[in-house]
Amino acid sequence: MRDKLLFVLGAAAMVLLARNILVIAGFPNEANQGAIFKIIFFHVPVAMAAMGCAAAALVGSVMFLLTRNFKYDALAVSVTEVGLAFLAANLVTGSIWGRVIWGIWWTWDARLTSALVCWLLYAGYLMLRHAIEEPTQRATFAAVFSIFAFIDVPIVIFSIKWWRTQHPQPVFWGGGSIPGDWYLAAVLNLLAMVLLGIVLTVARLRQEEAQREIDSLRRTAHAF
Amino acid sequence: MLQLSPDDIAREAQRLQHNYEFLSYGLTAAWLILVAYVLMLVSRHRKLQEEIASLRAMIEDRPAR
Repeated sequence: MRDKLLFVLGAAAMVLLARNILVIAGFPNEANQGAIFKIIFFHVPVAMAAMGCAAAALVGSVMFLLTRNFKYDALAVSVTEVGLAFLAANLVTGSIWGRVIWGIWWTWDARLTSALVCWLLYAGYLMLRHAIEEPTQRATFAAVFSIFAFIDVPIVIFSIKWWRTQHPQPVFWGGGSIPGDWYLAAVLNLLAMVLLGIVLTVARLRQEEAQREIDSLRRTAHAF
Repeated sequence: MLQLSPDDIAREAQRLQHNYEFLSYGLTAAWLILVAYVLMLVSRHRKLQEEIASLRAMIEDRPAR
């Protein structure tokens, strides 16, 4: 049943993405930026999905520290890994967009720098987990680190409001003048990314379950 | 009235081509990252299943004390 549901969600995400690509390809080019502007339909949804993953990791980490239940630790690590992939896609698409519009691949402005720091912090979280053998200590240290790493998330989101940045102000949901069907395409792409994120997180959660089974089998093997 | 020279038209066509090229790079890169992550998950899943199977076989093969 769980497998079927996962398959249906994954298929729905893929169908939605394929449909969105066709719809977006049919939109006219933006007057000033031309075709490259259409990258926004992926750049923004992956960023939002990544920030959602960071929020879910925070909830998982706090819940682990409160309950000491390892299923919350598994949720935190799974969702962090998926969020890291989304944030990498966001950084790369942003860099390519910047190369066309600004003429540079990268600039150390507040939004770009805080997003890169966010990626590095969560990559550090995964490295920290690899460095600690004992499961309880690993989960505790990782949860504390994840809560610390989340401090960067509001900085990423509000950096364009707090400081003057090369990165523009938000186009969607930020007072920009975007046609209604473009909004709809962005919302549907966000929905597709969220579905994809859920499928990948559940797949990763199962690996955590498998890892726990391995740990238990190892203990049994050593007990002989 | 604004007149466009053949040079202007050629420059605009080049800009559009350049734009499409970078749009395709961006989308390809984004998808490659996600596909690479999915492949990593699949490979890790296979390794974990193999390890579980070998540990189970090891436990079953041991004579009970």
